[in-house]
This record gives sequence, C-alpha cells and structure tokens, in this order.
Amino acid sequence: MTVAAPPATTTLDVANVTMRFGGVVAVDDVTFSARTGEVLGVMGPNGAGKTTLFNVISGVQRPTAGEVSLRGVRLTGRSVEDVASCGVTRTFQTPVMFWGLTVRESVEVALSAREFGGTYPPAPQRELAPCGLGTRGRRAAQAALRERAAAILDAAGIGAMADRSTESLAFGEERLLELARALAVEPTVLLLDEPLSGLNPDEVEAVIASIRSARAAGVAVLLVEHAVGELLAVADRVVVLDHGRMIAEGSPTQVAADPVVVDAYIGDELE
Amino acid sequence: MIASLWQYVLSGVVDGAIFALVAAGFVLIYQVTGLINFAQGEFAMIGAMTAASLATAGMPILPAAGLAMLAAAVVGALFYLLAIRPARAATGVTLIFITLGLDVALRGLALFVWGTNPLSLGAFSSGNAIQLFGGALPPQAMWVLGSDVIVFAALYLFFRHTYAGTAVRAAVANPPIASTFGIPLRTFAFWSFVVAAAIGGLGGVMIAPITSATYDMGLTLGLAGFVAAVLGGLDSLPGALVGGFVLGIVEHVAGGLWSTGWEQGVGFLILVLVLVLRPQGLLGRAARRA
Repeated sequence: MTVAAPPATTTLDVANVTMRFGGVVAVDDVTFSARTGEVLGVMGPNGAGKTTLFNVISGVQRPTAGEVSLRGVRLTGRSVEDVASCGVTRTFQTPVMFWGLTVRESVEVALSAREFGGTYPPAPQRELAPCGLGTRGRRAAQAALRERAAAILDAAGIGAMADRSTESLAFGEERLLELARALAVEPTVLLLDEPLSGLNPDEVEAVIASIRSARAAGVAVLLVEHAVGELLAVADRVVVLDHGRMIAEGSPTQVAADPVVVDAYIGDELE
Repeated sequence: MIASLWQYVLSGVVDGAIFALVAAGFVLIYQVTGLINFAQGEFAMIGAMTAASLATAGMPILPAAGLAMLAAAVVGALFYLLAIRPARAATGVTLIFITLGLDVALRGLALFVWGTNPLSLGAFSSGNAIQLFGGALPPQAMWVLGSDVIVFAALYLFFRHTYAGTAVRAAVANPPIASTFGIPLRTFAFWSFVVAAAIGGLGGVMIAPITSATYDMGLTLGLAGFVAAVLGGLDSLPGALVGGFVLGIVEHVAGGLWSTGWEQGVGFLILVLVLVLRPQGLLGRAARRA
C-alpha cells in the first residue's frame, strides 16, 4: 500500500519537553511535531520515555521544561479534562473500561458526553439535534446517536458484541472497544499506547484499519508500539527515543536504515 | 400468632419503604462521589419538619409536601456547594467527618428553629385501614409504597434509559477516564446531593403522618437508612430497596415477637451477618478487577 504524503498542517507541537523525576531524566529535551492526517510512530526500547511523553501531552504530568501546544494553543499546564476537551484523546497500555456498561453504552457515552457539558469541538460530520425531554428532536437525536454508535462498533469489528457487558470482553476485544471509544469523540490528536500488544492477527488487522481510517479522517495519530514491523508499515513518519532523548526522526525507511536506531533498538527487536 | 406475625410484617413493610428512600440517598451519593453522607437522615428531618410546619400554617398537604422536598433539595445543594465541594481534595475520612459534623449542625439548627415539641402532619388521605390477608395497613401506607415505586422506577429509568444516566454510570465506573470524555463529574456530584436530599425529604414527609415530626428524627432515620444501604449493597439502588424492606420487616418482627428494645439490635445483627458472609451486601457487586 502506498502512503500518501502527510499534509503540511501542523497539529501538535512538542517543544523542548523535559521530564525529570528526581535525578532521573525520563524525557530529555524532545522536540517534534505531528501533522493533521498522519500517523507518527514513536519508537524506543522500554524506559525510553514514550509513555511519559504521552502523559505529558495528555496533561497527566506537567513537564519540568518545555511545552506542548495544539494548533498554537498551549496545552501545558492544563488539566487532563481541559486537554481532552481541546481534542486530545488517548488509549492505555492496559485497556481501561467502564465496568458495568455494555459495549454499545461505552461508545454512546463517549458520543453523548458533549450533551452533558463536554466541550469537544463540534464535528461538522456529526450533527446531533439538541436534546429536550420527550421531544421529537430528542428522539431523533437519540436515534442518530445510536446509529452512529452502531457504525463505530461495526467499523471497529465489534458490532456483534454491542450488547455484551464490558466485563465479559476478552483482552483483545477490550483493546478494540477502547480504540472505538476514543475514535467516537472524533479527536484532533489520538495517542495510542501499544494498541497491538496482546492481540491476535485478526485484531491487529482491525486496529490497523481503524488507525488508517482515523488518519484518513484527518486525525493526527501518535503511535507507540513495540511491534516494529507493524509500526513501520503503518506510520508516515517515526521519531525514536532512547533514554529519554530523541535520537532519530524521519520516514520509516530512513529510520529503519539509521545505524544509530538499529544499534539502539531495531536490531534487538528484529533479532 | 400467625396473624400477629403478618401484622408485624405489614408494619415492617411501611417502615422499610421509608428506610429504602433514605437508603437510596446514601447509595446515590456514594455511587457518584464515593462518599458516605452521614447527614442523609437530616434531609428526611427537614422534609418532615417543613411539611408539618407549612401544613400547620394552613397550607394543603400536597403543596406542603412538594415545598418540603424542595427545601430539602436546597439544603442538599448548599450542603454540597458550601461544605463538600470546597473540601473535595480532602481524604475520604475527612469528608465523612464533615458529613458527621453537618449532621449535628443541621439537627442543632432544627432544634433552634422548631424546638423540641413534635409537629404533627395529617395523613395524605382519609379512610379506613386497608385490610390485607387479615392484616391492616393505614391509608398513609399506600402513599409511602407509591412513593417508593415512583422514586425507584424514576431512578431505574434514568440510569438505564438515558444518556445522562449512562454517563453517570461511566463516571462511577472510572472517574478519571470519564472526565477525559467531557463527562462533568462535579455537576453530577452536585445533582446527586440535590436528588438524594429531595428523596430523603420525601421519606421524611411520608413518615411524618405516621410517627409525627421531631427535630432529632433524622438521627434514627439516617442510621436505619445507612444500615439498609449497606445491607442491600452501597453500590446498588435495588439493594437499597431490598435492604430497606428487609430491615423494616426484621425490626418489626423482632420487636413484636420479643420486645421493642430488640428492634434496632436485631437490625444491626443482620447487618453484621451480611457483612461477614457477603461484604458487598445482598445485591452489591464485588470489587471489580482493575
């Protein structure tokens, strides 16, 4: 598959970000940008600072130095909720579920959060009528929301399990649901932390299809993944971290051929 | 003997329905905020005293009951905004002590406003006692049971058939993640206090024609509601209903068969047994995997 060149529009800027924990430097003066409609792979061995970097971008941790901005708006210093409301959504190494809800409800709640005060930027392709108790508009809005949830679940390959409770899902199914739920809010930036780990080949294919679909919809996808082959296949560009420092940036082909990267990471992974 | 036992059960059902309303308030606040509000019984007291005062002043009972619920809801709102929300960063134990302090404060305020004399509130409807398989229920019992049906049905419909209800359940399941989806946790916490207070107020209004209203009735009702909530499962609204009825019936049967002094003792004994054998309560869920 040929990958179209990413548009030049910069969505997310990570500028000189450093994160120290006491004497340990988890992220060391990292600078890069992610663009609209591209998959940016973030590679590196364990302890390279990838998840810490995601925590800084999503507002979980405030960096010791540097800043993160989204379309020119500074995210650093904002709460997790504020960063999310600006359009940054993430998944986790271990999927996080809303126990007690069904699969369908998990996606519907993400879709409908805006109705209860959520501040996600309106998505032009998703027009929900305002809710009013018992009105025809409300019923139409509910029907539209339900249809949208069904479409998202179908696209994620878990439409058949819509009425199952989240507790009944296998690990791979949880991953698919977590990704579907994240995509439901139509984020500007999507942070995926090892979304392929623990999946069977069919599930890997479904996740990769969802990532490509998000890219096509204009989402900037940041992808941390230890499955180097899959990451290089799906990413448009790659940044490589090692001991918190960014040691390489470029196309998958450039990065895969970079002797520094091969020495620090890829060589070991492919052996 | 059997006839007496049946009558105790019927009386227990009426009290149990009140306990269930108070327990619903405990569960609602616990589910949404993770906090046990030990002042829940005082919302019932405020409902009962307000309704009795208004009715004594000449207001028809139903509008008085509505205003009493509203008064309890306003106190619930102030309770959250002035005491709980500013201290939201405090530990759970600190917040529990805040609710205990407010429980005492509200009771003291009621003593100041209404004094120690009981206030009476007429039954919502007149008529003869309702005969049921040889036992008798006062006409007020129908209002009490009807209130339970309406409140629990409304809560069920809200949580299971509205997106706001689903959002609350998501917030209960995982608050940090729910907040990243734009689910407004603080707004839900505020409304949980308002609704719990209104439901508690309704419980007080409903029991006032049976027991009369006193400034300190909240302590007993609060304890009973707490026991019922834990008995049924602190995270389960159906559990609050079942816990309320079980507690009401057990107390009345024990009190009738042995002595009224046994009523609360047996209720607490049942609570201890349930906590030992099924710590999550009768209908509560065991701790979920992380």
